[in-house]
Amino acid sequence: MRDDPYVVALVARAAGSDKDAWDEIVERYAPLVWSICVRFRLSAADIEDVGQTVWCGLYEQLGKLREPAALPGWLATTTRRECMQVLKVSNRYEPFGGEPEDSVLAAEADPGPVEEEVLRAERHALLRRALAELPEGCRRLVTLLASDPPLSYPEISARLGIPQGSIGPMRGRCLERLRQSALLSGLSDTMPSGETGKSGTRATSRRHVK
Amino acid sequence: MNSSQADENLLAELREALAARAAVPPAFVEIAKSAYAWHHLDAELAQLVYDSVLDAGRGASVRSESASIRALTFASAQFSIEVEVSDDALLGQLIPPQPGTIELQTMAGQAIESAIDEVGCFSIEPKPDGQFRLQFRTEGQPDVLTGWLTLSQPPGE
Repeated sequence: MRDDPYVVALVARAAGSDKDAWDEIVERYAPLVWSICVRFRLSAADIEDVGQTVWCGLYEQLGKLREPAALPGWLATTTRRECMQVLKVSNRYEPFGGEPEDSVLAAEADPGPVEEEVLRAERHALLRRALAELPEGCRRLVTLLASDPPLSYPEISARLGIPQGSIGPMRGRCLERLRQSALLSGLSDTMPSGETGKSGTRATSRRHVK
Repeated sequence: MNSSQADENLLAELREALAARAAVPPAFVEIAKSAYAWHHLDAELAQLVYDSVLDAGRGASVRSESASIRALTFASAQFSIEVEVSDDALLGQLIPPQPGTIELQTMAGQAIESAIDEVGCFSIEPKPDGQFRLQFRTEGQPDVLTGWLTLSQPPGE
């Protein structure tokens, strides 16, 4: 996952004139930016403002990011900073609201180190991409299996028009394909399942240091 | 860890990944995507060289004329742009006078085009609220684009 060549290529293409690459960057990381704004409990209008600032800022950065793979880290840090900024400004106009210290605001909204949040977002993005790349039959089945709340086998059987008895074997096969695909994307070393992961090693530390 | 447990873990994480994506409103994604088009233009950026609000000075009581009419001037290599903001409209002129089209672009991705007449005059009504910028197209010259503007408050405040 470090220096994901896929992300590096996306950034390079977007820095050129490839709008599709930009759209894909947005699809991939919008959930990260959004979830940070939501955690800071910003209003819808403030979230929109922060989003605009962050994405316009990213555009400016495209050609300058020394380490294109550090893009999600840049997005997360910038989003947090902009959210803090919004909270500080709106706070100024609440005469009786008190003025919480930055650290209080930060602690309230802090889900842990940026690195963990970024890693989680990356894992999610890789999984969604791996899912999208599955053959259609598998993709539909796995999507239903992963729906929330989960569907029962009879429901899945009815939706997909396949016998209940074949769901189990198909599920195993499709998830294996997904895992293989995810492995190719370098997901293994951060997968919690640990089946193929190198247990004990975290991918956090080295990545943002350079 | 047996394989069915691994499958369960994989599905659980996938569920989380799909929920994270589903939580994002479509408009949030669309605005983010349109940010690219707004930036990725082959146009000359016009410099803001005069703003009556900044000129009036901070802290001084605002005179009535500057409260109702704000004047801005932009400079580019091809022409300068004089803009006046009244209560309900944005009026302007290209100097030297020349015809063309003007496009009002909002951060949300809207674009509204109107004509610049033979003597270089244009008007935009109602005046935009929120952040916007103006792009000028004239024949045989590169487009000219202003930076992002807001009328609700002077820049830098």
